[in-house]
Amino acid sequence: MVGNDLRQRIRDESVFIFSLLVPLALMGVLNLAFGGFGPDTVELKPATVVASNDDAGPLGGALLSALDSLEIMEVTLRSVPAAEVQQETRNSGADLGLVIPAGFTAAVSSGQAVSVQVVEGGSQGIETDVLVSVVDGLLDQFGAGAVAAMAGHSAGLPPEVLAGLGEQTAAGRPVLSLSEGQAAAEQLSLKGTLVAGQTGLFLLFTVGFGVLGLLAEREQGTLARLRSSPVAARSIITAKALVGFILGIVATTVLLTVGSMLFGVSFGSPLVIGLLVVSVAAAATSMTFVVARLVRSAEQANVAQSILAMVLGIAGGAFFPIEASGFVAVLMDLNPVGAFIRGLGISAGGGGPTDVAVPLAVMLGFAAVCTLASRLIPDRGARL
Amino acid sequence: MQPAATASVKTRIEDVLAVKSLVKSYGERTVVDGVTFHIRTGETYGLLGPNGAGKTTIISMVAGLIPADAGSVTVMGEPMTPTSTHPKGHIGLVPQELAIYPDLSARENLRFFGRLQGLRRKELSTRTNEVLELIGLADRAGEQTKKFSGGMKRRLNIGIGLLHRPTLLILDEPTVGVDPQSRNSILESVERLSTEGMAVLYTTHYMEEAERLCDRIAILDEGRVQAEGTRDQLVRLTGGVDRISLRGSGDTSAAAAELKSLPGVQHVDGGGTGLVLTVRDGPSLLPAIVTGAGNAGMTLTQVAITRPDLESVFLHLTGKALRD
Repeated sequence: MVGNDLRQRIRDESVFIFSLLVPLALMGVLNLAFGGFGPDTVELKPATVVASNDDAGPLGGALLSALDSLEIMEVTLRSVPAAEVQQETRNSGADLGLVIPAGFTAAVSSGQAVSVQVVEGGSQGIETDVLVSVVDGLLDQFGAGAVAAMAGHSAGLPPEVLAGLGEQTAAGRPVLSLSEGQAAAEQLSLKGTLVAGQTGLFLLFTVGFGVLGLLAEREQGTLARLRSSPVAARSIITAKALVGFILGIVATTVLLTVGSMLFGVSFGSPLVIGLLVVSVAAAATSMTFVVARLVRSAEQANVAQSILAMVLGIAGGAFFPIEASGFVAVLMDLNPVGAFIRGLGISAGGGGPTDVAVPLAVMLGFAAVCTLASRLIPDRGARL
Repeated sequence: MQPAATASVKTRIEDVLAVKSLVKSYGERTVVDGVTFHIRTGETYGLLGPNGAGKTTIISMVAGLIPADAGSVTVMGEPMTPTSTHPKGHIGLVPQELAIYPDLSARENLRFFGRLQGLRRKELSTRTNEVLELIGLADRAGEQTKKFSGGMKRRLNIGIGLLHRPTLLILDEPTVGVDPQSRNSILESVERLSTEGMAVLYTTHYMEEAERLCDRIAILDEGRVQAEGTRDQLVRLTGGVDRISLRGSGDTSAAAAELKSLPGVQHVDGGGTGLVLTVRDGPSLLPAIVTGAGNAGMTLTQVAITRPDLESVFLHLTGKALRD
């Protein structure tokens, strides 16, 4: 029965269209819309910073020097008087204006409040954001020096020692640093998210070719013939579910593979990906059992399946990441599509089978709950 | 039920199918109401009734597709319910609607349903080829059935039901929407199967099909068996009278007087060039009538017997026509 169904699905070509071609096309369109077909890394353009430095101490100079020596982008510094920074930044199309006040180093060293004025350029490009972030980070580091100086003052250290302490703290390397994680990152690139999300979304449609196909069999008359055969009814349903499960696994695997190649994405270990694919296919297939109990016709089944697929797909982040908090966040964490994408994120970051235990548990738990629910929900008329 | 309905409620050992007091309701509406009949090996049994009489509902319960609200169905002595599997191996169902896969070829359809019936390997191949020959589709066996004509699909629909040599073949209005040529082919197939010993349950609302094929017939209306028996038994319910029309020249009045005196002649009408006689068992009485008319001086040019048919039986029993 499984072989017969698979043969029909391959021949009627709908499985190719709805399970492979449409999602691949959608991946392409979404990638074009959100990121283009190029690589995920962004090439920063050369930037210009208009700055005035009235500080007599070393920290003002250190700030400008840090900007001038950035490795990630080429920065041109142009010095102007403080009063002209704003206008010059606007008129010259510079990316950033910076006003370092007189006594900046002294204030930082003694733990006093001091303000550095930042003027964002008219281009509002990503280069401006990067420069602001760099300045912000440096000021935080200098702020740490001020805190150290204040602490020293409270402890009764002499003024000459306080200044040295503040400068050392401000100029020193940070004790704590943030580095990109591996297994715990749970972050896919934009392209990776789209490939994983669209794969998860269309899986929910693909599995519908299984159990829900029984409703179509009823409408075309073959279900009566199946049920008059010496085969247990549960064998028929199991065979149909197996068809949906197999189609789901094959379509998901093909989509992830082709999507990876087309959009230059890597999802990590094939073993972990395999576990995730099997689990999400089981979750999606189990959902069709519930749908089959709730509907009366193939048409109703298609509508219900489409609504569920879109809701779970969008909430799971198939198109863009969804942020939520509280109970809604808990609900969204139980979404098998979301769990699948999270699992692929962990796998892409180098995670192993144990690292994806939570997403796997979510998907398999979803499958168990849906299967149980389908046994408890009264059949509204499909009579499978 | 009329006197001709003499079905035993006990399951006889030779019964392929025994249906006892079957009841099925949908909400307030009872669509099958206490139906009882049985079919023996090699017998073709007809359920004759208009659309909505309950024929397909009975078939659905007999084939184990839906549960009965009351009563029982046994096939080869085994109870048939929707959860039964073994007794389903004895039946071959040919549903009223086409039940074939359009994306599969005729051969693939046969092989798939054959495997479900437990046929394997050589037996499956042999039976598939035999059935393809039987239904006249051997030369189109590899084509997807969606390219077939309606008649070809109908023949395949029947072929699938025959594939595993069922003890009981259930045909639910198999000729509805079929062209005359295919219809005749189907009827010939059923006749052949019956002579080969297969029991057949045949539903139809075509009186001619029931008369041609069925050894016994149940006349159904509004979910009840109105009468059951052979064609002749059923016809007798109408009084069993035939009409004989005589046309000719000579002394028709003398002929009328002569014929009225013959035993079995109930009534004589007419005069001039023609007489109409109401008689019991027209065919056996005909020679005496022809002789009597001649003796009375009437020269016959035309003789016709009109026998009562199932249509008149249905009309007699229900007060309405069999056709829709």
